[in-house]
Amino acid sequence: MRSLLKRLKGFVRSRSIHVTVVNTGGCNGCDIEILACYTYRYDLEQYGIYYHNNPRKSDVLIVTGPVTYQWREKLERLYRKVPEPKAVVAVGACACSGGIFNQEGGRVCGPVREIIPVDAEVPGCPPRPEEIVSAIVEVVPRLFRAWEFRRGSEHGAEAGG
Amino acid sequence: MERRREGRDASPRGNVRVVDVETGEEVPISHKVPVGPNHPILKEPLRIKLAVRGEEVVDCKVEMGYCHRGIERIMEGMPWQKAAFLAERVCGICSHAHNMCFIGGVERTAEGEPAPRGLFLRVLVQELDRIQSHLIANAAYFYSIEHETMFVWNMNTRERVLDCIEEITGNRILTGWNVVGGVRVDVTEDQLERVLETLEKVEEDVKAYRRIAQTDPLIKLRSRGVGVITKEHVRRYRVVGPQARASGVPESDMRLQEPVYPELGFKPVSRKRGDNLARILVRYDECLQSIDLIERIVDELPEGEHRRELEIRGGHVDHRVEAPRGELVYDMELTQGGVVRRVTIRTPSVPNIRVLEAIAPGAPTIADAVAVYASLDPCVACNERFVIVDRDRGEILYEGRAREVMRECSRTTSGRS
Ligand code: SF4
Repeated sequence: MRSLLKRLKGFVRSRSIHVTVVNTGGCNGCDIEILACYTYRYDLEQYGIYYHNNPRKSDVLIVTGPVTYQWREKLERLYRKVPEPKAVVAVGACACSGGIFNQEGGRVCGPVREIIPVDAEVPGCPPRPEEIVSAIVEVVPRLFRAWEFRRGSEHGAEAGG
Repeated sequence: MERRREGRDASPRGNVRVVDVETGEEVPISHKVPVGPNHPILKEPLRIKLAVRGEEVVDCKVEMGYCHRGIERIMEGMPWQKAAFLAERVCGICSHAHNMCFIGGVERTAEGEPAPRGLFLRVLVQELDRIQSHLIANAAYFYSIEHETMFVWNMNTRERVLDCIEEITGNRILTGWNVVGGVRVDVTEDQLERVLETLEKVEEDVKAYRRIAQTDPLIKLRSRGVGVITKEHVRRYRVVGPQARASGVPESDMRLQEPVYPELGFKPVSRKRGDNLARILVRYDECLQSIDLIERIVDELPEGEHRRELEIRGGHVDHRVEAPRGELVYDMELTQGGVVRRVTIRTPSVPNIRVLEAIAPGAPTIADAVAVYASLDPCVACNERFVIVDRDRGEILYEGRAREVMRECSRTTSGRS
């Protein structure tokens, strides 16, 4: 019974996802490709994914761009604001590796995964909207579906210890 | 009523006061509202600090610096082949303009002329780029006044334009299309046919949107007479691009001085009122004009090679093009062979965002101040040219404190000299 409830929770959670897009110093190319996902052609909303841009209400943080020094602390703070369960998707070469800006002279502090935990990475400069859509649609619901169970095991481990 | 700001810190606990210039009385502030750096309608990180009395905005301050990543510094010491890609990544929305301006600057230092066919193709893609940029700008504006239907319609039409760009260059944004001496690949007749076919539909759509924007009472209510940029503002803040043309300054169009455009009989459009609605309409006008220009380019496309070998002699150049948002300047020093020694970029959004500080006070509501911001078509990623760092404490200073420190520095240095 309990597991059924958990599965139901996970299912519902994976069907209604709110995203926040943060540009941490990228060139905008990735941001407008994410915006393009909301046109009829790609239509991210048909999968139940809404663009919200309010970290306190959202489930998924989409990060584009290399993390500039100015953003470092702010990104950590923003990440903490997002309630559990949460997922982070790094979109673009910049977010995955620092990209073209991560070389001598660039004032960036490297890939996003060194600052906050990242669940999915979409390479490309910029990636096509199809790729962004498929990354979000495939990875994120899976994470959320399993979350109740994962949380349960964590609690169990705590209780046991 | 003219107002003057006193005090430097506009943060919620700061000491900013707003004083009426004529009477010398302090204007009461009820709240200080920071907007951003992460906000529903801002695509990019930027902080707007508003001081409000009830709903009325009495003071506005823009804080930039979140996007600085040191592009100019990375470019130093790079051959043009690599630096061209970096130039493109200054801004993702008007990427082609940056690429074109950089390559145009390199070509100015070279011996010989670039291939005429290449120049025409460059302008063709530039106009396509302008259409998509204007459409996204208007879409963002409609989103900021919460007219989501128009937002989605504009974005849909933009997809069609991106298809055209992809047809010609092979990529949607960040095309890497220009090279010294011309363009990377040639186009065929078929491709141009398909582009023109798609543009017919785009033209229909844009005309319909313009009509809606002109006649819709709700849009009018939110846009007519809000955020007026006068000619005086244009002069004082050096506003450029469609924002200046909406205030009746058609001379601000750099396309008048570029090659190719005079051959196409180009005349800039302009409107007089200078409010939010005028800016939206000027952008639609320019989209239609760009479609005309593209048709004429396809008709008059010269035959011959699309790219020529040029020998770069190097030197100091200062090249300007009209990017979708206004005049874009690349001031460069190159060595022989085309290695970048130093480059300074001035993007159009810098003055365009600055003018917000003058026109946002007086907006009837906070939501209108944000709409005024969106109507200026700001592109923050372009803007960030430098940040000021306090070395002793290792912290990055934003607007208010940064200005203070800079003032102090200039005082001490001038004191010493
Ligand atoms: S990955 Fe490319 S398109 Fe995306 S922000 Fe970085 S430079 Fe721009």
